[in-house]
Amino acid sequence: MRNKLLRRLSSGLLITAVVAASFTACGSKEDASATTETASAESNEDSTSDASSSAGFRTLDEIKESGTINIGVFSDKSPFGYVDENGEYAGYDVYFAERIGKDLGVDINYVSTEAANRIEYLQTGKVDIILANFTVTEERAEEVDFALPYMNVALGVVSPSDAVIESLDDIGADDQVIVISGTTAETYLTKNYPDIKLQKYDAYAEAKTAFENGNGVAWANDNTEVIAFSLENEGYTVGIPSLGDNDTIAPAVTKGNETLLTWLNDEITSLGDEQFFHADYEATLLDTYGADYEDTLVVEGGKVQ
Amino acid sequence: MANLGIDVLFKGTNFLRLLQGLWVSVEISLVSVAISILLGLVVGVLMTFNKLWLKAILKIYLEIVRIMPQMVLLFIVYFGTTRVFGWDITAEAAAIFVFSFWGVAEMGDLVRGSIKSIPKIQFESAYALGMDKKQTYFYIILPQTIRRLIPLSINLITRMIKTTSLVMMIGIVEVLKVAQQIIEANRKASPNAAFGVFAVVFLLYFIVCWPISRLAVYLEKRWA
Amino acid sequence: MDINILREYIPLYKDALFLTMKIGWQGILLSLILGLAGAAILHFRIPVLKAITGIYIEIFRNTPLLVQLFFIYFALPKVGIKITAETCGVLGLGLLGGAYMIETIRSGLESIPVIQTESALSLGMTKEQTFIHVILPQAISMSVPGLLANIIFLLKETSVFSTISLMDLMFTAKDLIGMYAKTIECLFLLVVFYLIMLLPVSILGSIVERRMRYGQFGD
Repeated sequence: MRNKLLRRLSSGLLITAVVAASFTACGSKEDASATTETASAESNEDSTSDASSSAGFRTLDEIKESGTINIGVFSDKSPFGYVDENGEYAGYDVYFAERIGKDLGVDINYVSTEAANRIEYLQTGKVDIILANFTVTEERAEEVDFALPYMNVALGVVSPSDAVIESLDDIGADDQVIVISGTTAETYLTKNYPDIKLQKYDAYAEAKTAFENGNGVAWANDNTEVIAFSLENEGYTVGIPSLGDNDTIAPAVTKGNETLLTWLNDEITSLGDEQFFHADYEATLLDTYGADYEDTLVVEGGKVQ
Repeated sequence: MANLGIDVLFKGTNFLRLLQGLWVSVEISLVSVAISILLGLVVGVLMTFNKLWLKAILKIYLEIVRIMPQMVLLFIVYFGTTRVFGWDITAEAAAIFVFSFWGVAEMGDLVRGSIKSIPKIQFESAYALGMDKKQTYFYIILPQTIRRLIPLSINLITRMIKTTSLVMMIGIVEVLKVAQQIIEANRKASPNAAFGVFAVVFLLYFIVCWPISRLAVYLEKRWA
Repeated sequence: MDINILREYIPLYKDALFLTMKIGWQGILLSLILGLAGAAILHFRIPVLKAITGIYIEIFRNTPLLVQLFFIYFALPKVGIKITAETCGVLGLGLLGGAYMIETIRSGLESIPVIQTESALSLGMTKEQTFIHVILPQAISMSVPGLLANIIFLLKETSVFSTISLMDLMFTAKDLIGMYAKTIECLFLLVVFYLIMLLPVSILGSIVERRMRYGQFGD
């Protein structure tokens, strides 16, 4: 009897101890949220929680003071923003992000975004800059502030080479076109071609895999992206290379974040002198596109030709 | 095997990153379970009290947890709170908050159930022996409930680990997101990577959850 | 919150609700069929099938639905097995649910005292008759609260369908937020529509549970 009681008591105590131990472990974890982000291969520095002070964004000085800038990039959109086999972020957008970090003299904390989250991340101050192939549109400009552009873009449609879609009229009533949620392709097709059935995905990796698996007759997205896909993967043709307006891609900051916006604009203008974005193209996009697209894609010094 | 795309996992640090991603999931669930057990004990005891307003609040709380998908709660906490209250919380904190919110309710209900399941005679005997209420709870009732609760809370751990697959949606780079990144970075070299990588992720989840749920079953049988 | 935006979005959410319900209930039906079949197999200890059922339960109970769906939808086509997103949703939910339904129905079966079987057999009923007419009806009524809890769980799990391009409630909310950034309205409608879908089932669950308790009381 006594033995039983003792055993019960000790088991009870043991549980309490275990629970208490794990609780303290979690307490120390909260302020070192970096550990949970190890997979992103960049240290977090807990910079996001510092942001709470100002009204939804951090000014240039606050960023400099904290020593870390949060930049939202894609992690699955090769060759613009992706993670290579060693866990490092890479691509055209990331090359520019690295330079921003260097010129500001701060560390970079990359935040992996999906297309549909980009505005949300800025408006909630969870990132300072979005550098995720963000096309400038009127609707978006009401929600966030765009800096000067650094790339040209239009929409494009890629389809399997044995059933090329050359006009949107080729798309049958039951055919589905793959788009990525929150991209300009989605908005454009929803607005101008409401009859086309769209199959929507969150992430680039998912959309591309579904397209490869033949779940849709075509994939509509930024033409840069679909051209890259047709060049990198055999058996696909870009039937519609340019659709809708010619747009540009630019960094975006939270609406009203004047100091950071001004700094970014100055940075982009001055980088034009050293032909920075041509160097960026040659480092990250040349393998995919070859030299032919360099002048059509790159916007130097924020000035569209 | 090469054409099934398992080979991409041996390139660079890919496999290690996948494991790190898995650890992120496990870590979030362990922290949440710890919080759930502690607060769940408190909430469970509160649930046995006979106060009308307390009962009403706890009932609403339970019902919210029961009805709202965890993904909805994640979105509300991560994006909604910033919008409405201007709080800025990290994705990890949001995830831990949501999982604890869910876990505390579940644990609370389990604790209530096991306290209720303890025969009344136990209370009566303890009082007859001259123990007061506090002593009765601490020495007689709680040790018995805790033993019944252990298998159930171990079960909760596996359910949490499984549910952490959703945190990808609020930008936490966990095992599934890493899987997508690997597939994307190697699309050209191994177009079938989706099969191998997702198969391995499937297996990894199983390897983590299966032993834990077996342990729960074993303890349940032994201590029942 | 802007009433006009709510009014504009409600039809979209309504469509999403119908899709969610359609796939959800088809999946639940499949899970009930699997549950009954699996529970019967375990109850009668049919060799080989029993082992397969055991493995099936362990696999689907110990992996997340999201990962199961990713595997079925994105990985299987790479080895030539291709199915549409809707079928994948029904299949995924059904397979996951089946693993839980089997356990619930089986514990219902186990709760029926052996004497019931013995009495039925001694009355000259065959094994099959005993199972279908005596054991199963009681077992199912015993498992109803558990089954309803599973149904709520499965309807909630439909929220992960958004990842395989099904326009369910969750996806509609995410998509609208991505396009127009009206976060508060979108999240509000999301909560309202989940309430519409799940509150009735949940209330039904509480009523049934209370009835069951009264039912046991006289025993």
